Amino acid sequence: MTRADASPARRRGRVSRRRVLAQAAATLAAARSLAPALFVGCSLGIPPRARTVPVGLLHSQTGTMAISATSLRDMQLHAIERINAGGGILGCRLEPQAPDPRSRPALFVTRARQLLEGGVAALFGCWTSTSRKAVLPLCEEFQKLLFYAVQYEGNESSPYCVYGGSLPNQQVLPTIDWLLGPDGGLKKKIFLLGSDYIYPRTANFIAKKYLATRDARPAGELYLPLGHRDFSVAVQQILFSGADCVLNTVNGDSNLGLFQALADAKVDAAKLPVVSTSVAEDELRSLQPERVVGHFATGSYFQSLDTAANREWIAGFRDEFGRDRVTGDAMESGWCLVQLWKAAVEKAGSFDTLAVREALRDGIEIAGPGGLVRFDAATQNLTKYCRIGRIRSDRQFDIVHQSEAAIAPDPYPQIAFPGWHCDWTKGGITRGPEVSIDGDI
Amino acid sequence: MPTDFFWIYDIPTARLALLSIGVFVAVYWLALIFIRPFLRPFVKNTRGANAIDGYILSCFCVFYGLLLGLVAVTAYQTVSEAGSNVTREAAALSALYEDVSRYPEPYGQNLRWLLRDYTRYVIKYAWPLQQRGIIPVEGTIRAEAFHDRLLDFEPQTPAQEILHAEALRQLNHFLECRRMRLFSVKSSLPASMWYVMLLGAFLTIALCWLFDMTFVAHLSLGGILAAYLGTMMYLIIDMNQPFRGDVSITAEAFEGLYARMNEE
Repeated sequence: MTRADASPARRRGRVSRRRVLAQAAATLAAARSLAPALFVGCSLGIPPRARTVPVGLLHSQTGTMAISATSLRDMQLHAIERINAGGGILGCRLEPQAPDPRSRPALFVTRARQLLEGGVAALFGCWTSTSRKAVLPLCEEFQKLLFYAVQYEGNESSPYCVYGGSLPNQQVLPTIDWLLGPDGGLKKKIFLLGSDYIYPRTANFIAKKYLATRDARPAGELYLPLGHRDFSVAVQQILFSGADCVLNTVNGDSNLGLFQALADAKVDAAKLPVVSTSVAEDELRSLQPERVVGHFATGSYFQSLDTAANREWIAGFRDEFGRDRVTGDAMESGWCLVQLWKAAVEKAGSFDTLAVREALRDGIEIAGPGGLVRFDAATQNLTKYCRIGRIRSDRQFDIVHQSEAAIAPDPYPQIAFPGWHCDWTKGGITRGPEVSIDGDI
Repeated sequence: MPTDFFWIYDIPTARLALLSIGVFVAVYWLALIFIRPFLRPFVKNTRGANAIDGYILSCFCVFYGLLLGLVAVTAYQTVSEAGSNVTREAAALSALYEDVSRYPEPYGQNLRWLLRDYTRYVIKYAWPLQQRGIIPVEGTIRAEAFHDRLLDFEPQTPAQEILHAEALRQLNHFLECRRMRLFSVKSSLPASMWYVMLLGAFLTIALCWLFDMTFVAHLSLGGILAAYLGTMMYLIIDMNQPFRGDVSITAEAFEGLYARMNEE
């Protein structure tokens, strides 16, 4: 067949580059002319995601310490949510990660490692000193800061820990002063009762040294395992010692057993007042009021503190977590630590640990619900008030004593650790002679 | 759907529908322009090629339509089941909350507080994670904390024994529903199913390219078919993940419960 023989129909069916290009050009031209109407203002509409920074919250939510630590977790979650609601830090949203170490020191290590390997910017957590001491080497290895909110015994200082709780010189020693003084009833025989781990033993070691400087001796000393519930024998031992008050460093839900045993032995606050270092409003939730009314607790903060800042803070927490929720000493410290970290990150302009620590040491203070909180660069602790509260029937406290000013921290009181000093602005820890706490017991 | 494509659920629903339709139509049109001229000679010289192509296409569409229909129904059932699980979990939680409200203090208050904490976590933290296709783990911790505290209670009277037994039964039901919800976070069509569906869509379109008709008629008729294929794909994509996308299961049941818990 010649070219001249090709019919129009046959020509129409032939593959032709010219026809293909013509059709493509026509389509593209049509698309181009319609594009402004079709696509102007259109995008996939995927909302931009703010950069997130993971933050570790390491609090026991089950086990013996859950009674105390769960509320601390909630308060720090609340602080983080408030920060996120306000736009985050340096434009980043904080992403809290809160695994459960189940009140077991070994699990604290496992969970902390998981969090640190996951790249958290900082760790907030631990309740007992055992757990803190288990986690701190990891923080040093990963060069991340641990923000610890609970009262502790001192005799320790790590450049990777910010200590937010009261030291014995901010809590136990002023409480002893109060007990020995007229406001505390001029007590003479203080029984030292505690859970068997680092904090109670060290705090009581310091307390004994301090009592000696006041020409007094403890009526007795007893330690029971953490989580122990049967205090009937312990109460008999206390009564037998002739003690006129008890300084209670028992931790966690063991306090339920202690006050149950006191009630069973018909020992009330008038007969034998108990001053607890680790019983706050939150622990009172689990205690029958009639068993604890009139006893005392010591700390740097009580919910009944009558200030506008405190009322506003409590209202904010209750709006989020429920109207029956209460606030306490460790919760207040936990909140302040998150705010302190935020202020330091913003001051440093970075989440880098060393930059944040430098910003902290440069001097930061914040207004906390319990008063002004100042970071002490030398010891990496906070200045704290000492307050003593008497337990009411509504599971709250009447504040019966408050230190005149916030007390500066001293992790190595010279009465107990002569020659030991700590100043991270001048090289760190100055070591004195070794002190054996166990040997003193 | 392969996990690499999960970003697709971040696109608002209306735009996702338009995108899906647009992609199918664009593929059809572009191939019509650039590929069809090379395919047409194969059928051009065959007598009754359009009829044969039409017959094959209609046979193919029966099977493919069945596949799409069944897949769409399965996807809908998955969403529906996941929605029912969420409602059942919230209902079990509510019943459990009522049960523990009858416990003596301080147990009652502590148990209520733990359930509130769980509910709050589900709304504030678990749901956003589910919407990103991540199974939330911290709810388990809260459920365990409640379980532990519930087991701490020792009934003192026959009435308390009955109440405690009922609370434990309700707890088991709640945990079962919760587990079902977590399972459904990752439930979706297997990747092989997607490959078969996409291949089917491609073949449907390819068969249309083989028709011999005017260019404009080809563009419009094939475009309509491609647009409908795109619509079906959008429907399946949207229902594939029960907790993802604009049209997904919300935390409404838990939000209502949490509001009621906080009213008390």
